[in-house]
Amino acid sequence: MEKSVNAIIPGLCARVVVNEGDKVSAGQEVAVINCMKTEISVTSEWNGTVKSVLSKEWDELEVGTPMVMLVVDGD
Amino acid sequence: MIKRLLIANRGEIVTRIIRTCKEMGIATVAVYSEADREAPYLDMVDEAVHIGPSNPLHSYLSIEALIDAARKSGSDAVHPGYGFLSERAVFAQAVVNAGLVWVGPAPEVMKSISSKCYCRHLAAGVGVPFIPGTLDPVNDPRDVAAYGREHGYPLFLKLDKGGGGKGIEMVSSEGQVEQIFQRTCSIGNMAFGSGACYIEKVIDSPRHIEIQFVADNYGNCVLLGERECSIQRRHQKIIEEAPSVVVTEQERELLFDYSRRLVRRMNYHGAGTLEGLRSADGRYYFMEVNARLQVEHGVSELLTGIDIVKCQIQTASGEALGFRQEDIGLRGHAIEARVYAEDPETFLPSPGRISGLQLPETGRDLRVDHALENNYSVPPYYDPLLAKVISWGEDRTRARERLISGLEQFVIVGVKSTISANLRILRHPNFASGDFSTAFMSECFNNTGSHFGKEGPR
Repeated sequence: MEKSVNAIIPGLCARVVVNEGDKVSAGQEVAVINCMKTEISVTSEWNGTVKSVLSKEWDELEVGTPMVMLVVDGD
Repeated sequence: MIKRLLIANRGEIVTRIIRTCKEMGIATVAVYSEADREAPYLDMVDEAVHIGPSNPLHSYLSIEALIDAARKSGSDAVHPGYGFLSERAVFAQAVVNAGLVWVGPAPEVMKSISSKCYCRHLAAGVGVPFIPGTLDPVNDPRDVAAYGREHGYPLFLKLDKGGGGKGIEMVSSEGQVEQIFQRTCSIGNMAFGSGACYIEKVIDSPRHIEIQFVADNYGNCVLLGERECSIQRRHQKIIEEAPSVVVTEQERELLFDYSRRLVRRMNYHGAGTLEGLRSADGRYYFMEVNARLQVEHGVSELLTGIDIVKCQIQTASGEALGFRQEDIGLRGHAIEARVYAEDPETFLPSPGRISGLQLPETGRDLRVDHALENNYSVPPYYDPLLAKVISWGEDRTRARERLISGLEQFVIVGVKSTISANLRILRHPNFASGDFSTAFMSECFNNTGSHFGKEGPR
């Protein structure tokens, strides 16, 4: 099953800290959002593998903008 | 003389600069990004120019877009405000190259003093004490470990080109050196275009003391007193005041002497600030130069009656300052509270639409600098500063009481704000008595704001 890790707060994408093919576990930081100069960590809710990275540095983000696509383990 | 000034910034500082320009009879040009289409000050200026998308990289940080806006609007000068490109020598140079007046120090001076190590050499050269550590950047983590073995931990690794509270990393033991060194270099390369970092000793329970100066092209350098800015979260200021409760008349004279020596050696013209620390045992250490108008300049304006923006415009136009040091009196006491769009408990950001607004009643003793109006949307892309409430009193107690009463009248609905956090700080017995250091927020509220978010590089 595929799941997207979405922006939890509006702002600018500071960085995505995972790459395509990386294994991630639930609770792991996958991206960082710069909201009003404060960096907010975005974590994965699932164990899985990064299928694609959808955001890049300086992208404008709304709440819910998909940042990273995962293939969730256990399918 | 400047006739038409472009303000290359956004938010409250635009309204602040407009006010002085109107008094001086100078026409104003504002710029705005997509997110700032509704900014209230766009109706107050002679011309408003759209410069690009919300993303600041393509608007407020775009030298090309700003120079283009200045040309299109027939401006003859640029005021950079604070933040964004205000301390970038390349922007200042681009403004000068376009045949416009730069409201700030000369680009060459800005380029030099953007290096903290340059400033450390400068201080050493004129006999001004600075924070012990290395004079030059360290190139290898082994040099950091060697310093730690000789002088002990903790120590700070600081980016030579860092600023705005970013690029300051504490190293507590030799085991951390390698990792923190690499991380600091990496942050520096990404955010400031330079990974060079140097070592500073950690000063015990310091207080942040800074000196405001204005200097013209004719050798007149006037000191407008000190400001104390020890109440901070995430290395960013929340409350500032002048004078500082700990600086004695004798110490002020010493700081003024240091400041004159530094300003002359830098060959600096315009308004600027020398930031420093005062250790618990009463020693002063120079830290860095801020080559711009500071957020907290209003505190010094209420104390001295001098309009610092006017000084900037006059000196940039090549005029002499209309006063000398002996004309400056430091009268009474002034305190500023910064109101941020943040949760008052966690200091987490809170962008959104303002659905209700009541501003404090202003007058001779209470000033509110802001760019707010009801139904205004606070964008998530820029600084969280919403407003500055600045009070004046015959003494510190009265200034504090007036600030409290001003903040009590201030209501913002729709986004969270730090108004209640400011009130908690101002009412705290340690603030009331003046007994605090830069550790105030962690010691008195167990809150540095760092558990939730880290200060980002832009």
